[in-house]
Amino acid sequence: MEKRAVLHMFDPMPHVSPFDINMAVDAGFEVIVPYSNVKTEEVHGLVQDAIFSRGPAGVKRTGIFIGGRDLAVALTMLETAKAAMVPPFQVSVLADPSGGFTTAAALVALVEKQLKLKHGAELAGQRAVVFGGTGPVGIATGVIASLAGADVTLVDPFSVETALAKADEYNHRCGAHLHGTFASSEADKARLLSNADVVFCTAKAGIEVLNASVLADARRLKVAGDVNAVPPLGIEGIKLKHNGEPLVYAINSPGAVGVGALAVGNVKYQLQNHLLALLLQSESPVFFDFRAAFERAREIV
Amino acid sequence: MEKPYILHMFTPEKNLSPFDANMALDAGWLSLVPYTNLEPGEITAMVQDAIFSRSLSGVKRTAIFIGGRDVGTAMAMLRTAQKSMVPPFEISAFADPSGAFTTAAAMVAMAEGELHKHHRAGLEGKSVLALGGTGPVGQIAAVLAARAGAKVKIIGRQLEKAQKVAELCNAEFGEGQTAIEGDADANKGELLKTADVVFATAAAGIQVLSAELLAASPQLKVAADVNAVPPSGIAGLGPHHKGTPIEGSPSGAIGIGALAIGNVKYQAQHRLLLRMRTTDKPVYLAFNEAFDIAREVVRGG
Repeated sequence: MEKRAVLHMFDPMPHVSPFDINMAVDAGFEVIVPYSNVKTEEVHGLVQDAIFSRGPAGVKRTGIFIGGRDLAVALTMLETAKAAMVPPFQVSVLADPSGGFTTAAALVALVEKQLKLKHGAELAGQRAVVFGGTGPVGIATGVIASLAGADVTLVDPFSVETALAKADEYNHRCGAHLHGTFASSEADKARLLSNADVVFCTAKAGIEVLNASVLADARRLKVAGDVNAVPPLGIEGIKLKHNGEPLVYAINSPGAVGVGALAVGNVKYQLQNHLLALLLQSESPVFFDFRAAFERAREIV
Repeated sequence: MEKPYILHMFTPEKNLSPFDANMALDAGWLSLVPYTNLEPGEITAMVQDAIFSRSLSGVKRTAIFIGGRDVGTAMAMLRTAQKSMVPPFEISAFADPSGAFTTAAAMVAMAEGELHKHHRAGLEGKSVLALGGTGPVGQIAAVLAARAGAKVKIIGRQLEKAQKVAELCNAEFGEGQTAIEGDADANKGELLKTADVVFATAAAGIQVLSAELLAASPQLKVAADVNAVPPSGIAGLGPHHKGTPIEGSPSGAIGIGALAIGNVKYQAQHRLLLRMRTTDKPVYLAFNEAFDIAREVVRGG
């Protein structure tokens, strides 16, 4: 009899997310084991405990999911998990804290597709601005776009220090070329928008970051994407299901289009399902973070 | 392939009850996921995480169980969970802290059954004492009996505590339809002179109705005891008693023992867990629903 598919779900927070658990079950994992309040230094021991008890056929039916809320912690845990493997005793690992990696990957892939479709352009060389750029989804979005060749600025709503520190940290960590700045006033936002080709909005749910009047200052905007599904939405004029519809308030950026939160959510959902299923299907172990998620998201869109 | 049944099991306590986990598996829930040390403030986020990651056909195969020890906390969590649903993304939830809802429901339904059988009458107008009734089972038994029309007193060692618990039951669980009173152990002798039904719901191993008191209970018709650990809560009443006359009762009172109650409790909990799995429309189950189902079980339905 084939061994049952087991997913060990590690989380530095008090609870593993029911969202991820549902997704894992629906992707084919038969046994879900949650581990909460996991510390980074515990990952090595947990991983080795997970790989040594099932034999070579069993490890193929075993996976690890790393959740939580924090991007850096999840990346560190993923690296630690990978380093703890003892071939041939090794299992596949997916990190997706707060669903941030799959959300960011879906967002950038959809925006990239619209760039190509509506403007015949690649991400490389575009000036991209990430509002809400210092949160987990924002940073992952920025890194993915930067690695694809865009000139990316992470925007914090309050603090330039935070933005610069995050940009610096992830430039070192992921080999990206991020800039950092802050935009607390409408004037700040207008200045950033005026020469942006691409805008990503990954700010908190329920906050309108860019209103119609600020959008009028955009001179060369091509595509804007928003992940906020809770009204008011992040960018005025982009509806939840928009996927390439005109950005009506960007009156000085002819041809600008928008991507809405449900369009992103739909791809994110397929992507997470696909990545979880791949943990079971891969012949040799895979270690997925947001970069791998982006490659798969490109295939999906 | 049909999506697997997933039950998210919430508890504010350190551990989930293995009793409930076994019951859930035997009712056909395939994946059980425990969440421990949950705080009431975390419920909304957890519920919304649980409802948004499956398609509508998957949502129907997802539900929440709320355990713990405290009746008030469990009811508050159940209400919050129900309020957190976003139709059509909504799932069933069932609260049964310490098994108290199904235990109390089974006991009251069985007592009612014996009244029907031997006196052709229900609980209406009957004088009911919940001895050692300040705990979860006593509170809910009092509420259910009162809602069925009985005059109910919760008896505890301290008068003030018993009165406070009675008030809480009326305010929190009686929905304005109950007038439960509290009284002290010291007055038991006097109260037993007019009592028709007695529920013994004290901690295991404490006898709340002695042979002397039983002999001085001239109107007693039914006595039920949830304590399965010797000495029994009611002198002369064994755990296997099921509609058996209690030796030493001058009025020929009928006894219902802990194992007989446990049997009905088991069936009631099983059916409620099953109902969440098979219902077409989400259901929110607590002690009232447990009582309805326990009555069905008692009637042989």
